[in-house]
Amino acid sequence: MNTDRQRFSLKSLLRFEALLVAVLVIECLIFTRTGTNFATQGNALEIIKFSVEIGLLALVMTPVILTGGIDLSVGSLLGLCAICFGKFWRDAGMAWPVAAFATLAIGAAAGSVNALLITRLRLPPLIVTLGSFSLFRGLAEAITRGVDNFTGFPPDFLAWGQGYFGGIIPAQMPIFILAAAFVWLLVHRTTFGRSFRAIGFAPEGARYAGLPVERRIAMAYVLSGIFAALAALIYVARVGQAKADAGTGYELLAITAVVLGGTSIFGGVGSVHGTLLGVATLAVLKNGLTLSDQPSELAGILTGALLLAVLAGEAALKKISARRGRSAILSPKPSSST
Amino acid sequence: MKRHFREWSVAAALVALLLTLAIAAPAFFAKQQLLTMLTTAAPVLVAACGMALVIIARQIDISIGSQFALCSIFAGMLAKAGLPMAVVALGAIASGAAMGAFNGAMVAGLGLPSIVVTLATMVTWREALRWWREGEFVKDLPDRFQWFGLGQVGGQAAILGSAALLFVLLAFAMKHLAAGRFVYAVGSDREAARLAGIRPQGVTFSVFVLMGALVGFAALLNAIRFADVDPKTGTGIELQAIAAAVVGGVAISGGRGNLWGVLVGVLLLSAIAPALVFLRFPPQWEKAIQGAIILLAVAADGLRSRKQKSQG
Repeated sequence: MNTDRQRFSLKSLLRFEALLVAVLVIECLIFTRTGTNFATQGNALEIIKFSVEIGLLALVMTPVILTGGIDLSVGSLLGLCAICFGKFWRDAGMAWPVAAFATLAIGAAAGSVNALLITRLRLPPLIVTLGSFSLFRGLAEAITRGVDNFTGFPPDFLAWGQGYFGGIIPAQMPIFILAAAFVWLLVHRTTFGRSFRAIGFAPEGARYAGLPVERRIAMAYVLSGIFAALAALIYVARVGQAKADAGTGYELLAITAVVLGGTSIFGGVGSVHGTLLGVATLAVLKNGLTLSDQPSELAGILTGALLLAVLAGEAALKKISARRGRSAILSPKPSSST
Repeated sequence: MKRHFREWSVAAALVALLLTLAIAAPAFFAKQQLLTMLTTAAPVLVAACGMALVIIARQIDISIGSQFALCSIFAGMLAKAGLPMAVVALGAIASGAAMGAFNGAMVAGLGLPSIVVTLATMVTWREALRWWREGEFVKDLPDRFQWFGLGQVGGQAAILGSAALLFVLLAFAMKHLAAGRFVYAVGSDREAARLAGIRPQGVTFSVFVLMGALVGFAALLNAIRFADVDPKTGTGIELQAIAAAVVGGVAISGGRGNLWGVLVGVLLLSAIAPALVFLRFPPQWEKAIQGAIILLAVAADGLRSRKQKSQG
């Protein structure tokens, strides 16, 4: 029974991801014709370079949504961490690697605030992270008084966002690959990943099965904070500037990528490779439209439309398969015995 | 008192804030400053009432900021085309209702999760507006647009009066009319509501349409305070509305909350910005304090329900 169920969900997941791959391939085919220099190695690496921050947030949003939660605060936290890094480096006189570690600690602390409120007080994640969405961005604005910004970072720090290994590979790409591998292994190859899904599928059931539900949920949100801090560092290194409005709206892009990648917003079902496909679909869309001299707003409109279309398609598929499943139960077995 | 713990505690926080202001900065209570604050809060109140209904029905709508911007622009363009203000108002409300109907059809008709649907429409409407207007203001509006042509005093009175009337009507309807109780029923238990003969899909759809219409009206009340219409207006109003509803005691899990709490929530959150100015506090703290208030309000609820559970 259990393996049957697994096989079924694996199959339906594959089908969904195939749909997304098809969308990606169609995008690439169209943009190869319409865009100047779209189908080049340089452009492919450029796409990756510019999607690392969103990619990191989307990666870590996957386990959060798998548990049935959501984290709206990651974009604001990115801004707060960027400001903290600037403060540590410029005003506290820390060397940049020290400041970077302190920033990661801030991210972990901020994630713990979310985690504590959600697990200890049993508050809905949507509301908690809505509050911290305001709080983190507000703190960033308060620290800078809305005007201060940090520039002039040392070149060996900026190299992590602007440099290239061997003149080709963007410096942040290895970090992203490591992060993706880490989250993929965590979600798909460890008991942690299983428990995220179990919690999202049925929190009470997971509790009765002896899973430490609170600790696992807390882990997802703390991880989310750490990744937001990492994304902040890469963002600052790439842009060369830390301002209070860094990362505005990133949480929505990350959620869009995760949902587009087939993770159910209700939790329990989803995959990290789906999320990566979702990130790629959005990034290629944006890049291709720019290279095809289309207005950037069109990318936003198509993102929204794509999200709705994919969801509606999924809902329709589910309805069909549910009907088929029911008829399979109701129809008499093709019996060889009679 | 026990039943409306949240409403009373938020009201107490508001009173405490007002008392502090009365002692430390009596200039806060100057008539003109109060009127300005309240007319700024009126559109937020209208939107927050709609949001409260949506949340009570166990849904959420994060696209209202984009709806708000589009409705403002529509209102401005209708006024510029020389149409009378009544038509302008109807146009704003109807366009909001149409966008709400789209959300409603997706959520109620196809059964998609409202947070994702409205996330998608939020991005789509906002980007469509940017593409269409390219950030351009609607300028050179006829005189009858700003303050409804009544001058600032009359205009403020009109805004406050219509928002107050609408609020009282909605609060009455939610408490005493069958339609209002249907919203609570669907939000607290959809299946039970269906078995009781309510059509949950119809209720959900209607709530989204009403949300859109209220956003259209809120956009109108906001737009007429200015001489031009800014296409970026309304950014973040979805969060203000959700925050006000939640602080005012509307449960995000649906089925619980009342509009009087939302009114107190709106007043508290919109008093913060001017209060900071009058208390000579850096105004950049506004967002951080709003966030802290949201977290405190829900944390207080969480602590309370935990205590009750351990006692019971």
